[in-house]
Amino acid sequence: MTKGYVLDPTGFRTDDNEDAGPPLPGLKGAVIGFRVDELWRSWDWVSEIWAEMLRQEGAEVRFWRAGGRTGPVGEKVIRELDEFTDELDAFVVGLANCGSCTSWTIHDALWGKKKGLPTVAVATRHFDELSQNLARRGGESALRRHILPYPLDIRQKAEVHDIAKDHYRPFLRTFGLRDRLAVEPAA
Amino acid sequence: MEQGWGDGLPLIPPTEARVRGMIAQSGRFPDEVVAVMLPLRAEATVEKIAINAVMAGAPPEAMPLLIATVEAMTDPKFELASLNATTGSVVPAMIINGPIRHKLKIPFGAGCLGGVAGHAPAIGRAIRLLIRNVAGQQIDVTSQSTYGTPGRVAGIVFGEWEEKSPWAPLAERLGVKGDAVTVYGAMGTANICDMIGNTADHFLQIIGKSLAYPGANGFLPSSQWSEVLVAINPVWAEVVGKAYPNPEDVQQKLYDYASIPIDFLDPVYKEPIERIGRLKNGRVHLIQKPEEVFFMVAGGMGGLHAAMLHSWGTCLTTTRAIPQVADTETAAA
Repeated sequence: MTKGYVLDPTGFRTDDNEDAGPPLPGLKGAVIGFRVDELWRSWDWVSEIWAEMLRQEGAEVRFWRAGGRTGPVGEKVIRELDEFTDELDAFVVGLANCGSCTSWTIHDALWGKKKGLPTVAVATRHFDELSQNLARRGGESALRRHILPYPLDIRQKAEVHDIAKDHYRPFLRTFGLRDRLAVEPAA
Repeated sequence: MEQGWGDGLPLIPPTEARVRGMIAQSGRFPDEVVAVMLPLRAEATVEKIAINAVMAGAPPEAMPLLIATVEAMTDPKFELASLNATTGSVVPAMIINGPIRHKLKIPFGAGCLGGVAGHAPAIGRAIRLLIRNVAGQQIDVTSQSTYGTPGRVAGIVFGEWEEKSPWAPLAERLGVKGDAVTVYGAMGTANICDMIGNTADHFLQIIGKSLAYPGANGFLPSSQWSEVLVAINPVWAEVVGKAYPNPEDVQQKLYDYASIPIDFLDPVYKEPIERIGRLKNGRVHLIQKPEEVFFMVAGGMGGLHAAMLHSWGTCLTTTRAIPQVADTETAAA
């Protein structure tokens, strides 16, 4: 039998950083930035609860709302992202709750991670795998990701607030605070 | 199939000889990087484009068109990364202008959006294979498209019937004369039928009002853009062109008609539209600016129908010139 050879049609990226990046060393005095979006009110509701709980533990919380990604608006958004992340000690990015917004969430999270910030990307369960795949294709497979239930956006505000409260401690553990939570001295 | 290289249809084996023949028609070196394709961030070299073109069955003469298309859709303003990831059903449609339509047998008359025997399906498929194999778009891996679209198999590839158009070609109106490809993020195709109207305003009205369905991405408060593409059949185009020889007037008319009264919507939809200031005289427009309405002449002489291709809402349409390659020997030299 004659063997034939064909050329490989695929492109591939082999480089990968398997380091999750620095953990959040503590909450007191830390400036923690939330990237929210123009899409998901449920993410506004989650982040407002987490922000309040973080403030109660001594953190300073800031918000930045990302907009469109193309044209002059897109250039402005990237400048804002750069300036916003320059002033943070930690970065929370969401919400990966659709295909394109997962792409943007991971893009912005990698921006923070590459600046050396403790960074967590937040996704809903259905978009967990996509967010992981996009982080891997961005060369950062170990990006910290926190996963919220799905579907989230069709729930009522009170229910989403309860979910946010339930997920607060796990979210902090995703940030690398797992051990410190137990030993951090009381104020 | 086992390698995950295909779309389920039979593939032509990309042997070295076939691939070299394809590259020769490009006038470029095989290792030249045309673009980095997202989300995989892999390099689309001339050789990778040629390999996928061979597999798809595209003719070697299509290489300059394929390269121009890759350049157009990897322009950052086209936002290929999120297009490939979205839950939407968007596909980069290729609209071809210039004499190359004839050389490559790109359809622009009857059946131009699908069904004409010619090179268009293979050319579209080559781009789809590149998006799969180089950009890395795979359903449930890097793409969450809820439905997908038939256009994600063989693309949407058609030309403008320039010879029947009362206006300058679409690509020329977008800044590129002659052979050109315009890449547009299309949410599929839909038909508009009118067997009653007989004036330019009738036709523009039925097209514009048909565009404005509430679930179109252009009505989403989060949509930064809301481009729309309309193909007008040559019979209607002649009537419309006589009344509105200036293409900007056609754009304005379609913009005006493509709107709905805000009270048509439930308050939960109304509030965010009002908040971002898209309400004008009690109406919300599908398209945010008249210049975001693209129209062209295409379709059969049977008339009676127009085609509308709604946009996804993030990609900005991009147009690239298709370079001419003198001949195979020159290109290979």
